[in-house]
Amino acid sequence: MEWARFVGFKMLRLLSLLVGVSVVSFILMQFSPVDPVEAYIGGDMIRVSAEQRSLIEERWGLNDSPAERLLTWGQALIQGDLGTSMIYRQPVADIIQERFMNSVALMAVAWVLSGLIGFGLGVVAAMKRDSRLDRLICWYCYTLASTPVFWIALLLLMVFGVWLGWLPIGLGVPAGMSTDQVSWSDRVIHMILPALTLSMTGVAAIALHTRQKLVDVLDSDYILFARARGEQGVQLFRRHGFRHVVLPALTLQFASFSELFGGAVLAEQVFSYPGLGQATVQAGLRGDVPLLLGLVLCSAVFVFTGNLIADILYRLIDPRMKEETIG
Amino acid sequence: MRGFSWGKQSVRAGVVILLICTVGLSGCAQGSSSATETVQQAASLPKDELVLAVGTEPEGGFDPTTGWGQYGSPLFQSTLMKRDAKLQLVNDLATNHSVSEDGLTWTVTLRDDVKFSDGEPLTAEDVRFTFETAAKSGSVIDLTNMADVEAPDATTVVFTLKSPQSTFMSLLTTLGIVPEHAYGSDYAEHPVGSGPYKLVQWDKGQQAIVEANEQYYGKKSTFHKLTFLYLDEDAAFAAAQAGTVDIAAIPAAFSKQQVNGMKLESVKTVDNRGIMFPMQPAGAKSGDGLPAGNDVTSDISIRKAVNVAIDRTALVEGVLEGHGRPAYSVSDDLPWSNPDSVFADANIDEAKRILADGGWVDTDGDGIVEKNGTKAEFNLLYFAGDLTRQSLALAAADMVAQAGIKVNVEGKSREETKKLAYTNAVLFGWGSHDPLETYNLYSSTHKGEGYYNTGLYSNPTVDHWMQQALKATTEEEALPFWQKAEWDGSTGFSYQGDAPWAWLVNIDHLYLVKNGLDIGEQQIHPHGHGWPVTSNLEEWSWKEETK
Repeated sequence: MEWARFVGFKMLRLLSLLVGVSVVSFILMQFSPVDPVEAYIGGDMIRVSAEQRSLIEERWGLNDSPAERLLTWGQALIQGDLGTSMIYRQPVADIIQERFMNSVALMAVAWVLSGLIGFGLGVVAAMKRDSRLDRLICWYCYTLASTPVFWIALLLLMVFGVWLGWLPIGLGVPAGMSTDQVSWSDRVIHMILPALTLSMTGVAAIALHTRQKLVDVLDSDYILFARARGEQGVQLFRRHGFRHVVLPALTLQFASFSELFGGAVLAEQVFSYPGLGQATVQAGLRGDVPLLLGLVLCSAVFVFTGNLIADILYRLIDPRMKEETIG
Repeated sequence: MRGFSWGKQSVRAGVVILLICTVGLSGCAQGSSSATETVQQAASLPKDELVLAVGTEPEGGFDPTTGWGQYGSPLFQSTLMKRDAKLQLVNDLATNHSVSEDGLTWTVTLRDDVKFSDGEPLTAEDVRFTFETAAKSGSVIDLTNMADVEAPDATTVVFTLKSPQSTFMSLLTTLGIVPEHAYGSDYAEHPVGSGPYKLVQWDKGQQAIVEANEQYYGKKSTFHKLTFLYLDEDAAFAAAQAGTVDIAAIPAAFSKQQVNGMKLESVKTVDNRGIMFPMQPAGAKSGDGLPAGNDVTSDISIRKAVNVAIDRTALVEGVLEGHGRPAYSVSDDLPWSNPDSVFADANIDEAKRILADGGWVDTDGDGIVEKNGTKAEFNLLYFAGDLTRQSLALAAADMVAQAGIKVNVEGKSREETKKLAYTNAVLFGWGSHDPLETYNLYSSTHKGEGYYNTGLYSNPTVDHWMQQALKATTEEEALPFWQKAEWDGSTGFSYQGDAPWAWLVNIDHLYLVKNGLDIGEQQIHPHGHGWPVTSNLEEWSWKEETK
């Protein structure tokens, strides 16, 4: 019963979130100065007559009022139809599905890596507080935290792709190879650089927060008491530190879903990796409203899921949370 | 006890270190093996395969009826006519074509031996179907002037136009023919055509792999397999450096860096940049009702002085690193441009003389000339973020300042520019293999419609010559009329005439090409970098000594 209420409540929130997000995005697109027809025609503008221009508008349904268009889109959506992309001339659902499969693997790898490495670094830094190692880790994290994703991406691309030639400079599969010949190792090799880029940016936040939390914990009275009993090192951390720092780390890790999505857009752009990022950039720059709305919905669900998992894990890890929500 | 626990810890530490080492080592080993692999792969790639990074992905897929093949060639499909290296028309699917006296009926006869890559024959019905589908598609293919298309027999197609249009030929040279029997909603992803290549695989967002079409009727290319990588400029350059591509399109900014094993080829273009001047005095209205006109640029002596003061060669050297040539018209060196429109520029004294003759004198000694209390000062807009345009605008402003004209250079977004283009000078870029562009830029019929003739230029004589050109029944017949519209000895849209534009430069398209690869004689490329290089793929080959 209690779980049913929890789930129902969350579903309602998701629904209202999706409605809100799509209405706001639609309005923003209306105010955007990008003229979709112009963006679509691009370099051909002088060869396309005014008559043809109005044909394009008609085909895209741009002649209806914005409210009407949003309503038509909403009605179609309820029936499970996300509409047709203007620039790709394909159902939006197909594009998202295809791209999502590529992105999701990339994001999952990056997410797990950044979580594990970040948590580990944070714990080590806090346990060895003020040592040279701590300072090194902090310096590394501050540098990462203040570095734009695309710049890291370019750096990795130059070093490993061009100078050393160890890894491919982009794409998700080897150039010129037919799909049935592409092996798993090929895909993994092509994913290394984008995943590394993406995970690097996540590391800093988790590590620094974990370090701070653990430092606070280590300053507490019960740690003093435990130390007095002769506990130290790994044992001390396992018995008294872990539970305290794993929760904030988890929150951060799942909340980072949104950053993950944003980072993927940039990393994919640099490495020509065929994920959702590329499609999002195209949709935004060229005023492809159906595709952009589809992507916005998709990313909203994605981020929401991240937070939801965090919520559920809380209740599993720390029973006190459950009591609070019931109360 | 203590010793034991120490031992356990050290064992644990050892395991961790071992793990790190193995992961690290295996990473390195794998890395270096794949590196040598890439190098070997590049070196041992069969000579009949090429990897190209020359253009952006056609997002809409490979359907000619929605815009595929407008630049370069449709590759998978063939067109009725095509243009050779000299841009002369030659037959492709067509064996002959004729245009009726009134210019309204175009009859094209077809080869009877053409098969699509699936083995089915190509007939006039397919041509009719293609043009009808394209007309209905609501895409960049503009067929609004086509009233009807019929296929009276298997090898004859008859087009009926609403009004005479000699530039209709451009559609015959760019629209690839699709098969009626194999056309469906997924055609763009699985094209079937009669072109030199067929699509084997399209990894969206990444690459397209194509192989030679065995059924192709024309000259076969030396290359059996081509892989087109969709990389943006930086990535394409990186790919060239890493040795993974045989040819890559690069921007001029990268041209100074040497790449091992590759040579730089620059291709002549009509990818031009020029300054468009508002031609009416302030207070006019555009077709869309926006304010138009400018009191300074509407004075012909200002426009001529700007034209003649600019040192185009210096722009090419300074801004384009030498990869370009001066521009004197929208269509330099294309068959329909008038060679007489070229003039001696970089002449500040001449500019000063023109200004003085026009009544522009510097009375207050601030270095800027005036006329009737109006200073010779105007804004020049460019699309913000485009470095080349910015540099050209700034350099041009410096040059005309010496003649006493003050130009304020401002970067604006495309959207803002669209609204301001009627009242300010704008740095635009054009250049097409279709003379229709000339018509849309200079004719008074479309003035002030969107980007058409934003200067509101209007000259009845020029209109008359261009109408004659459109009414012509063959391209050869139309050419002299286009040239006369530019300069007929007494008036025209060239510098010698009304000077509604100051054309600056044509920007060369740059390609990094593997040593030994010969990309044949290239056409003058149109605006739009990348794909056009593929228009003569059948001429590409490895030079003898490298075989």
